[in-house]
Amino acid sequence: MASKNQGPAAPRALVVEDIKVDLVVLLRMLRKLNCEATVAHNGKEAVDLFLEGKTFDIVFFDKDMPVMTGPEAVTKIRAMGASEVKMVGVSADFGGLDAFMQAGADVFVPKPMKLETLDAMLQEVIDKNMSG
Amino acid sequence: MAAAALREQLNALLSSMYASGLVDDQFQQLQMLQDDGGTPGFVAEVVTLFCDDADRIISELAALLEQPVVDFDKVDAYVHQLKGSSASVGAQKVKFTCMQFRELCQHKNRDGCIMALTLVRNEFYDLRNKFQTMLQVVPYVLKGPFDFQVFTGIVKMEHMLLKLKRIACPCFLLKFV
Repeated sequence: MASKNQGPAAPRALVVEDIKVDLVVLLRMLRKLNCEATVAHNGKEAVDLFLEGKTFDIVFFDKDMPVMTGPEAVTKIRAMGASEVKMVGVSADFGGLDAFMQAGADVFVPKPMKLETLDAMLQEVIDKNMSG
Repeated sequence: MAAAALREQLNALLSSMYASGLVDDQFQQLQMLQDDGGTPGFVAEVVTLFCDDADRIISELAALLEQPVVDFDKVDAYVHQLKGSSASVGAQKVKFTCMQFRELCQHKNRDGCIMALTLVRNEFYDLRNKFQTMLQVVPYVLKGPFDFQVFTGIVKMEHMLLKLKRIACPCFLLKFV
């Protein structure tokens, strides 16, 4: 389990979510897995972080957000050349699958996300970082 | 003695919440995210956030549905939001009523939406009352750190055993009932 992972191998996560309940739950899950996260409250804030030169190993996007949606942000960030970062679309709306995958996300996960699912994704990122 | 009686009541409350479908496995996920120290701070935080958010959304929906011309896109956006947050806390019945509500939005059925809002409100109020009782009682039930995960694990096991007894399952576990 990634939960015991510490130090340089810990993935850098960005959570893009406007609903506080969902944000608190996902942040808690990440903390349980020893992964601290940066927060953006909509797609535009996420794009701005990348424009500022911030880098992340994994980004979790909610779909429907004010100002800029998750799929829109994915499209823009990929267009900036961020091809290596793992992008995860998360939504309670099953229509989100097509929207996120067409935008360039790597994977779509329906809400609510399970801890085991999150752990597996973080472990993939850790393994990739260690081999890269 | 009083703590034991309270524990029994809390036991029954949690058991009925799962049995009636008021909450689902996602609620147990929240409990698993509790601090190892055992304080119920995280569950209380999330439940409180959810209740405040749901209250606000239901008020917004009521106002939108009272308008002479209903903006169904806005209604749908709010219902979607409530559906998402109810799924995140394991509020199963609220989530299901939101799903039905969204279908009525998509058909632009105003009367249907008004009825759906009443159902959502009733389910939410029922859940909120039970959450409030739970969070008030928990700190007084057990001495020392309270392991929510263990506690609800016990509740689910007891509920399962009662079900087995009712269907006369010839299971060795029955001797513990």
